[in-house]
Amino acid sequence: MTELDLLTDFSQKAGVTIDPKDIKLDDTTLRDGEQTAGVVFANDEKIYIAKMLDKVGVHQIEAGIPAMGGDEKDAIKKIAGLNLNCSVLAWNRPVKSDIQASVDCGVDAVALSISSSDIHIEHKLQKSREWVLETMKAGVDFAKSHNLYVSVNAEDASRSDMEFLLQFARTAKDAGADRLRYCDTLGILDPFETFLRVKNIIDIMGVDMEMHTHNDFGMAIANAIAGIKAGAIYVNTTINGLGERAGNAAFEELVMALKYVEGVDLGFNTNLFRNLSEYVARVSSRVLPTWKPIVGGNLFVYEDEDKVKGILADPVTYELFKETDVGLERQYVLGKYSGISSITHKMDMLGVKVDKKQAKELVEIIRKKTVASKRALFDIEILDTYKEYKDKSKTVKYGKGKDK
Amino acid sequence: MAKSKKVRKINIIDTTMRNGEKTAGVVFSKHEKIRIAKMLDETGIPEIEVGTPGLGGVETDMIKAVLKANLSSRLYAYCNAEIEDIKTTAGIGVKNVVINLSTSDIHLKKLYKENRTWLVNRLREVMRVANKLDLKFIISAEDATRTDLEFLLKIISLSKKKGAERFRICDTVSKFDPFRTFMIISTIKNTIDFPIEVYNHNDFGMATANGMAAIRGGAESIVVSVGGLGDGTGNAAMEEIVMALKYLENVELGIETTKFREIAEYVAKASSRAVPVWKAIVGTNVFAHESGIHADGVIKNPKNYEVFNPAEVGLTRQLVVGKHSGSHTILHKFKEYDIDLTDKEANDILVLTRAMSVDLKRPLFDKELMYIYNEYKSKSKKGTEKEEVNS
Repeated sequence: MTELDLLTDFSQKAGVTIDPKDIKLDDTTLRDGEQTAGVVFANDEKIYIAKMLDKVGVHQIEAGIPAMGGDEKDAIKKIAGLNLNCSVLAWNRPVKSDIQASVDCGVDAVALSISSSDIHIEHKLQKSREWVLETMKAGVDFAKSHNLYVSVNAEDASRSDMEFLLQFARTAKDAGADRLRYCDTLGILDPFETFLRVKNIIDIMGVDMEMHTHNDFGMAIANAIAGIKAGAIYVNTTINGLGERAGNAAFEELVMALKYVEGVDLGFNTNLFRNLSEYVARVSSRVLPTWKPIVGGNLFVYEDEDKVKGILADPVTYELFKETDVGLERQYVLGKYSGISSITHKMDMLGVKVDKKQAKELVEIIRKKTVASKRALFDIEILDTYKEYKDKSKTVKYGKGKDK
Repeated sequence: MAKSKKVRKINIIDTTMRNGEKTAGVVFSKHEKIRIAKMLDETGIPEIEVGTPGLGGVETDMIKAVLKANLSSRLYAYCNAEIEDIKTTAGIGVKNVVINLSTSDIHLKKLYKENRTWLVNRLREVMRVANKLDLKFIISAEDATRTDLEFLLKIISLSKKKGAERFRICDTVSKFDPFRTFMIISTIKNTIDFPIEVYNHNDFGMATANGMAAIRGGAESIVVSVGGLGDGTGNAAMEEIVMALKYLENVELGIETTKFREIAEYVAKASSRAVPVWKAIVGTNVFAHESGIHADGVIKNPKNYEVFNPAEVGLTRQLVVGKHSGSHTILHKFKEYDIDLTDKEANDILVLTRAMSVDLKRPLFDKELMYIYNEYKSKSKKGTEKEEVNS
């Protein structure tokens, strides 16, 4: 494909209609999420996350790595036994003992992961391309002999030679694999490259594809969407984007981007998002940044005068979805960027009516106070400020009267 | 391949001190504003938005101080499309301004309660005043991504005709994905020969990708902020855009990237935030490796799991020993302390570290590794002694 063709094709995909029934999410919080340096889930936590994800409506859960044995295997076994609506998948190297461990856990699907890039084949595996294909094929054969749904993961696909990757896809398909996971292991693709490469594989091989994207350059979500536009039907996500290094495509961001930017409504219970995100943040010993897209809360915290004006006139001026859609609340704070409308509104919420002149004077006072304390003011401080201001203006009036 | 190898000049304008500070709850002191401006300048960021003169008082004071700091970056002030605002801005000695007004019908109707004719007249008026005051100005279209394209093109032509320096397209409500961004920007570029700048929000996590798509579509300039700090969910992060341009688009901006971690930390502290460990480019976790497969790969050759060297952004690589570590990580980690383990020892210790890490629900400190090692050694010694006694 020439650059011009790609760009025309890319352009044409803007606004294209996608049937929500064609898109499925496979959440890997419990596998790639836990694989993050420093993150360990307790088994009860894993089970709770699996239940929550199922309740939200996810299609498949990647529950862990049975080959690790011990606690990990127990957790996967328990999740597989929960009788969830979603499919439960386990991660494996394409090795008999790994897959046998998955079979023991009772999962209905397996991911068989192996690197397809020369750089990994040479440096990490220290093997050959032929060895990779044979090993992968043997893995698929074994998994299929146990009637498992099989996803073949091309690790480091984004640094793989396209010709070999096509050969890899062909081998997987011929062996009976159900889908191919395209792993941008290092997060080095942009939406253009993603689109081009994924489209190429789908056009030539006609395989079902899944996107596994990383956020190293902040493009995990956009790349996942580019994959979908190119024809991929699965996306591998994690709650909060939890994952190695800069993390993966965030589950909640992808669901909402699909719904509100792409017009693809998966019908998930999004109002549980904040709860789910908070839970995962806590059990991974992280805080949920206030500015985290979708669930951070800051999107619905208003300080800026122009924005407050707009929201009060009609939330559609600055919001594509409602705060309650994701389990959040709208808040108004007063700070350096507050103005007459925002102060009048906030005072009203606090049960105090102020007129335009008062609001204008309060703007100055509040601005100075916020700069001095280097933060937005608490409600109690706002009320105190108002009281001071009222007392002062009374004294001034009284004083003036005396002068006369 | 699809990648464009043409050498292009891309402009970066940083709004940490303007839209960054506008974030609910974030307030910079004068000292901090000057420091941030200096750091951006030293890094080589060509343009900086320093603040909003319309706020008056304290803000004016800060802007004046930054103007006096003798920076090589070009400094811009931000104002609404109001005559008073523009006069105030010119009054404090600012030479370059960003003049903002909303162009979407939704905003016109709900926010301004006016029509398109009013907007066109207002735009003419403010540009006349800006020209008269000898200001260099960028016209910024708020909510441009929900604006009728034909009307937007009309506004852009008008701005070009009246001497604007360039035109800013704001995706105020994060309405766009990279596909639409690319299509709209390339359409504008194909219709009007005029520099375009993009301003993206991160509501759906696509700010950086949209910025890159706009550049692909022909935009010459992009608004960024350190760590993506900005109102709501923030903007395209400066460090992500610079590194993505360098590594994914082969556009070298000549920016001193080794200072990125330091700047990110400073801005985070000044805004009472922490840099999340997983923050793309500058988070400490970006170069921390725990999982057996990954750590093993990194030990064999960093290229296996790293695109650029951590030192390039002022970070260091860490090997973390936790639940997902493998025996190679253990071998390597102990080698850092001049202890050469045998394969058997590494495997035995791996079992112990994994159990402890699951128990503690976190990776282990180096000291804890040493405790495990010492206990293991003394136990196996006792074991050997016992065997000797028994035999």
